[in-house]
Amino acid sequence: MTAIDVRPGVSVKPDTGVPRAAVWPRAIAAVPLLLLALAVPAHSADWASYASFASVFVMVGLSMNVLTGYTGQISLGHQAFVGLGALTAANVIHTNTTPADPFMFGVGFVLAAVAAGGAAVVLGAVALRIRGLYLALVTLIFGGMLADAIFTLPSLNGQDAGVSAYRPTALAGNYAYYLFTLLLVAVCYYVDVCVRRTKVGRGLVALRDNELVASAFGVNVLGYKLLGFTISGAMAGLAGATFAFRSQLFSDKDFTSVPGFNLALTFVVIAVVGGLANRGGVIVAAIFFALVNPLLEGLAAHTGWSDFYGGHKFYISNAIGAALLLQTVILNPGGLGQVIRPFARWFGGHGFSLHDPDGDGGAGAMEGSSVRA
Amino acid sequence: MSVLEVRDLTIRFGGLTAIDGLNLKVDEWEIVGLMGPNGAGKTTAFNCITGFYKPSHGQVFYKGDDVTKLPPHRKAALGIGRTFQNVGMVKSETVLENLLTAQHTKAGYGALQAVTGSGAVRQREKELVTRAEAILELLGLADIRDRRLGALPYGTLKLLELGCALATDPDLLLLDEPSSGMGPEESHQLGDRLLALRKELGVTMLLIEHHVPLVAAVCDYVYVLNFGKLLAEGDADHVRNHPEVVAAYLGGEAPDALAETELPDDQAALTEAGLAEAKS
Repeated sequence: MTAIDVRPGVSVKPDTGVPRAAVWPRAIAAVPLLLLALAVPAHSADWASYASFASVFVMVGLSMNVLTGYTGQISLGHQAFVGLGALTAANVIHTNTTPADPFMFGVGFVLAAVAAGGAAVVLGAVALRIRGLYLALVTLIFGGMLADAIFTLPSLNGQDAGVSAYRPTALAGNYAYYLFTLLLVAVCYYVDVCVRRTKVGRGLVALRDNELVASAFGVNVLGYKLLGFTISGAMAGLAGATFAFRSQLFSDKDFTSVPGFNLALTFVVIAVVGGLANRGGVIVAAIFFALVNPLLEGLAAHTGWSDFYGGHKFYISNAIGAALLLQTVILNPGGLGQVIRPFARWFGGHGFSLHDPDGDGGAGAMEGSSVRA
Repeated sequence: MSVLEVRDLTIRFGGLTAIDGLNLKVDEWEIVGLMGPNGAGKTTAFNCITGFYKPSHGQVFYKGDDVTKLPPHRKAALGIGRTFQNVGMVKSETVLENLLTAQHTKAGYGALQAVTGSGAVRQREKELVTRAEAILELLGLADIRDRRLGALPYGTLKLLELGCALATDPDLLLLDEPSSGMGPEESHQLGDRLLALRKELGVTMLLIEHHVPLVAAVCDYVYVLNFGKLLAEGDADHVRNHPEVVAAYLGGEAPDALAETELPDDQAALTEAGLAEAKS
């Protein structure tokens, strides 16, 4: 995560007239980031667990980046895809109390991606016909219905106890598992980069901006919309499986009713606050929203506000999300990605410059996206 | 064999017949003009030919095959390129990225290969960039390669859009008012450029154009539409002096149209009053 590449497109290297950054200051700057990512979670099992949770959110953030950022489709039902991934993985393993067989563990992830990708195609088929506000409503209801219909089946959700999903012995420790989740994050990141740098991403962005132009350029608009939903759904499913093995339990209560809807909103906020079509910003936003609760809880414990925080937890984190969303939409349409862009470009080897030739990328994505409905 | 043949094309929107029994033919190597006053159905005809609209009746043949029912992206892949009346490009992308996007069907790799990032993709991408740069060079736009579209002037955008249409590697190019937003000098250059493109790339063209000197300079054959019907056809000079065409553009009855170029006094007064009102 140290060399965040926020440049859109392929081998485009704009001549900015700014000298390229030297290697050694970048290497030095990378040290604290690496420490944050690798050493801090090693502090305790709890911290490693929070870090894994951040990995889950980053994967969902990348999933939203493909769907909302590139394809311009909104999804207010993404918790259902994540939940479907978790449900699938837990039921494939179905360990009871024994550690999972490593092979089946892998199969669980693959099937989670397939199941969620498949469900996303169904939603995508609906999205072919409608857009804007109506699409937002349909995704909201689709997500809620999918969660309520499937996740509450007693044969699949293990009733009140949930479905146990123990990890293989090698990954039993929270820190070991966290390192494994980084690998999965890397896979999603790699896919996102590949999408953006090839005709797939260009086709998605083209149909986001203007479907007529996209089809005149030879992009199969219907097929590519479905492709965007599929890639996004598969990533969300992978994130769901990661989530299930993190708590070693699937519980339908995480994804249905209020907690489920809350998750869905958080995912949309991550995509917008991070910056539409800006994977670096989305990653930072995902980490922030994954860690804001544990961080505030720690802060409250140290300052003697624990009782107050415990009683108002739900409102506080939602208020932070809402405030950041408003701030982004009104003042900073490029999102966090826009803010960190000079640093990210510098890490990528460009000279440090606050003036950015690709400057309006995020704002452009905002304009083109149906998120504005 | 003709590259494009439109037979008895009719399209209705509700009660409005936008195009009524249009027949036209574009042979290989030809540049054909499509003219007509506003609302005549020129762009609608383009949309039927390129698959954006489904005609109510009639057929479109491309290189002898019936392509009437094919969706736009399939027609683009077959080699029917087009531009739009109001600049059709991907606004949030750079110039180079637009030219790469336009090469979508020529990318030479599948979506699965792209997503998994195979080595072949990287090689092909380099070739796509090279081709995009060649097109920019051809149009004299090499220095705006990495600019975003938002900051570019309209005339440049129209030219760039032509470049994007060329990037789709068309055998038949449909240009919707390529000279709009250009001054007389620029549109003269555009005419030379279109002739050069035909010579160098062998592209057959059908263009909607209002600028008569440009039409006269480049078009081998001209069709004139009015209220969805074919009004006249022939070479540029024939069409320009055709009484019904003059009438369609200037108003009045066809047989007397030429004689009536000077308006009666009361009508002239009305027109002058209208102009003054429009100016204020």
